Amino acid sequence: MKLPRRFTPSLPVLCSLVLLQACTTTEIDEFRQGQTTIGNGDKIVILGRRQSNNYETEGSFVNCVANVVSSGRDGITVVPEREFLDAMFPFFEPRTAPMRTSHLKELMDIDVAKQRIEEYGIEYIVWVDGVTQRSEQAGTISCAVGPGGGGCFGFGTWQDDANFEAEIWDMDTLTTVGSISTDANGQSYMPALVVPIPLIARVEANACNGLGRQLRSFLNGG
Amino acid sequence: MFQAHRPAYIRRLHALVPLCLALLCAACSVSTITLSGNYPAPLTRKLPLTVGVYYPEELRSFSYVETDDESGEDQYIIESGAAQVQLFNTVLPAMFESVVQLDTLEMVGANPQLDAVFVPVLEEFQLGLPSKTKLNVYEIWLKYNMRLSKANGDYIADWVMNAYGNSPDENFQSVDAGVKDAATVAMRDLAASLSLGFAGVAGIDEWLRENDSIP
Repeated sequence: MKLPRRFTPSLPVLCSLVLLQACTTTEIDEFRQGQTTIGNGDKIVILGRRQSNNYETEGSFVNCVANVVSSGRDGITVVPEREFLDAMFPFFEPRTAPMRTSHLKELMDIDVAKQRIEEYGIEYIVWVDGVTQRSEQAGTISCAVGPGGGGCFGFGTWQDDANFEAEIWDMDTLTTVGSISTDANGQSYMPALVVPIPLIARVEANACNGLGRQLRSFLNGG
Repeated sequence: MFQAHRPAYIRRLHALVPLCLALLCAACSVSTITLSGNYPAPLTRKLPLTVGVYYPEELRSFSYVETDDESGEDQYIIESGAAQVQLFNTVLPAMFESVVQLDTLEMVGANPQLDAVFVPVLEEFQLGLPSKTKLNVYEIWLKYNMRLSKANGDYIADWVMNAYGNSPDENFQSVDAGVKDAATVAMRDLAASLSLGFAGVAGIDEWLRENDSIP
């Protein structure tokens, strides 16, 4: 009888997998203050906070979270951020956007704004606030080109730390119903032996996936 | 005769000469960035007024020149006149029942239906490039002097408005794209402040009360 051959990955493959898998850690915290349900035809909008002088929440991260929330069997319809900002202009610009639910109540007292929100069928507004920061950069890579060819030699490493928080506003009660925060960090490496080999920690992508999935579950009442 | 004996690598090098010259010229030349954009009309209740708007020539043809700190030569020319006129032409019709564009201020007399005349003046334009500020953002500041007068020329209000916009410096993004994104944010900031703050400007609030035009 022939025994099945055991899978024995080669050492370089194993090392690469260990490095790639061990690079990122993601932590997600959820704080619920009220019940949430999503009915048929209900929509949400996910907006990035851009009030800070030091940073602004990247539009690409907001789009990524929106894609995760709207995907899957229990996906939720998300109004694109740009479309909503244009439709609600000038009430959600960096200097005019409501910072607290008390400001939201004041905004909903303006009939044109309230009417537009109702036309869109927005059930929840999700504010995403945060940034990915790079630190602990070390190492150098030198590249040279000569008549016989070129190449790079050296080693570089850096750490990315993504901190994002999503605050969820219920448009029926005009209150905060919860918040979800995500903290992802990871070390990236770039060894270069003739050719640079990037071993990039997918920190922001992991933060986006984690936050998006948790947000979808939260809004569906889970 | 000589041509036939020239080695192939020399011929290839000769072919690279125009490319090298083009690259050298590109490195020295001034980049012109023309701002444009589609701005949304603000969601505000229209004031029951007919307002004439006059865009001074300095605004219509405004261009900002950014010079190189080391050489002192022009580095970027940012043409923003058309974009500003486009912005006001989008915002003002959403704020007032009727807007009449005036080619000259002398045309006011020929438009007796006007309740007021609005004149925006751009006083300052500042640009922050990541290569100079060492920040990871493109920044644009605008400072306007807005003037509103009655059709007969009497003063109503004269106020300063500042607008700011920034755009993160992303990998492989061109200066052109970064400046345009920052300008769009600044223009939207201006439109938001103007549309939401107009009725509260000192002098205008009183004039609106006199005209029973309070929003």
